[in-house]
Amino acid sequence: MEKEIFILVGFLEIVMAIFMQWQVYVASNITTFKYQSWILGIFLLAFGFIDKDVPMVILALLTIITRAIFIPKYLLNTINKYLFRARENKHRISTSLSVLVSVLLAIFSYILSIVILSNVGSSLISIPLTLMLQGAFLIVSRSNAYAQMIGYLVMENAMFLMGFIFTSLPFIVEAGVIMDILGIVMIGGILMKIRDEDIKQEEELLG
Amino acid sequence: MIYYLPGLFSMLGALFSFALLRKKERLVSVISSLLSLISAIYLMFCSNFSNNLLYVDNLSKIFTLMIAIVYVGVVVFSIEYITNLKDKFLKVYQYFSLLHIFSAALFFSVTLNNLGLIWVCIEATTFSSALLVAVENDSIAQEAAWRYIIIVSVGLVISLISTLFLYAYANTLSINALIKEKPTGSMFLLGALLSIVGYGTKAGVFPMNTWLPDTHGKAPAPVSAIFSAILLPVSLYPIIRIFQIYQNPKLEFFAFSLGFLTVASASLIAGSQKLYKRLFAYSSIENMGMALVGISLGSWGLFGAIILIFAHALAKSGVFMITGNILHHFKTKKIEDIKGLYKTMPKSALFLLFGSLAVTGAPPSATFFGELLILSKTIQTYGYIAGFCLIFFVGMGFLFINLKVIDMVFSGISAPKKIIESNFVYIPILNIAFSVLFLVAIPFLYEFLKGIIQ
Repeated sequence: MEKEIFILVGFLEIVMAIFMQWQVYVASNITTFKYQSWILGIFLLAFGFIDKDVPMVILALLTIITRAIFIPKYLLNTINKYLFRARENKHRISTSLSVLVSVLLAIFSYILSIVILSNVGSSLISIPLTLMLQGAFLIVSRSNAYAQMIGYLVMENAMFLMGFIFTSLPFIVEAGVIMDILGIVMIGGILMKIRDEDIKQEEELLG
Repeated sequence: MIYYLPGLFSMLGALFSFALLRKKERLVSVISSLLSLISAIYLMFCSNFSNNLLYVDNLSKIFTLMIAIVYVGVVVFSIEYITNLKDKFLKVYQYFSLLHIFSAALFFSVTLNNLGLIWVCIEATTFSSALLVAVENDSIAQEAAWRYIIIVSVGLVISLISTLFLYAYANTLSINALIKEKPTGSMFLLGALLSIVGYGTKAGVFPMNTWLPDTHGKAPAPVSAIFSAILLPVSLYPIIRIFQIYQNPKLEFFAFSLGFLTVASASLIAGSQKLYKRLFAYSSIENMGMALVGISLGSWGLFGAIILIFAHALAKSGVFMITGNILHHFKTKKIEDIKGLYKTMPKSALFLLFGSLAVTGAPPSATFFGELLILSKTIQTYGYIAGFCLIFFVGMGFLFINLKVIDMVFSGISAPKKIIESNFVYIPILNIAFSVLFLVAIPFLYEFLKGIIQ
């Protein structure tokens, strides 16, 4: 049963990540990430309660508070103050190609999990692996800082799912990871607001 | 308690600079950094220590001392440098507070007894230092800071996966326990391989080092100095621990290959550099590549890597600080625009040349000795072809970097008159001088690290 629910959650997370690939409205991407984090948080919370695993319950609550509530609210807040950033000017890669690459990444992860990672443990590893590659692809395929930050956060969500398959890291480490993500988002948020995404080829950034 | 002190003094420095003594932030910063240095020196004479939280052996002590020396130099040098910067992105007290938090995270990174918490501290250095990169407050500085935060964070996600794999296999992240257990198995190997790629991103290792020249090139000089001198080596520290825990020929070859490619790519790209700060950024990449090669080889290769890391930290911090002085007076970062430096800024010019020779491994500097050990171990392990290829790329890097520096120092005159250099120029001069004198300490260092270099 646990395995089926994990597959369902993983499937939803991947579909939402693919949706992010063609979305040009930054606010929609942030909202999608919010739902992704809610699903992940509720999933962890439910299994924390079922297994009577107190650290997992605390981590699930921390996930919901930080990733599903605080981070989306903070990012949407900065978008509302800088409305010209609410829609991306252009994608580095066309929308149709982005979706195609996303699907290919899912297939690639599945093959990788069977061929190379089969001796690592669970076959379910292809799910977080797909999500992680989707996050990485979001970063490289966009020039918009918000989209790149969302890509990074999708990768972090994938890490949480991966922790569920194997074994969660010690509580103090997981808590530290959440604090670090908060720090990255807060500091990144300051830079995202002021960054010029149409920066020309500058000599100082070449070579 | 003594083992916590270097990091605690930095934290206190941040607290006082940010909140309690905001108007005396410069004085507070100097005092806290000096106290960190004194406690780091005292730590050298204390016995090794480990508990659930800390793992302090002689390697940790060497890294702590290295961080403390560069930290003091950077804080003192920043006093004048930051004051002279116009239209700063941060206020002076914010700059010093972030510098202290960054240094505290570095101190804790090399003394903690948990690979997970080491990851947390190394990631903490990213967000505490990202705004320091953007201090110059223009679109290029913001872009460089953004590239730094996003590329390094993605790299560190890879090292977090590696930590998860290590934990899933060994059921502990304690360095102490892992060294005793000596775990084996394919999952542990996968975790170790990923950790080299992940931490390597932050250390400037090929292929995910594209953030480094942008960041080092655009950050203010003291920030470039602390990044190049201690942030990069501290990111190699967990890799040294992984090799202490787990020896596997595949892992060693993988790390050697990445280190080799790092040296080769950085040496060749250095030849096409037009800006002097980016030139030295590529020199840092090359040195970290050599250090990774040494770490992968173990034994006296590892000893060579530690010598290289320590001597490079002193010399490169000095070199970057001097580039800050040059930028301040000449208002350009282009190599071709700087001529006859020895006539306009004689002290800076002379020590820029000495520093440049030291960081590129010119004899008889300590870096030369470190590189010599690494090269001889390479020849012993992988044969003459690999050894000579490595010597070739190191030699190319040496020529490209020093020819450009010699051109800046000796050819023609681009400034109309001699510039009066402030007394703060003695900070980089001291660092570069210490880096040369470090050669004398190598026999003592060998005795000190005997248990680790096997």
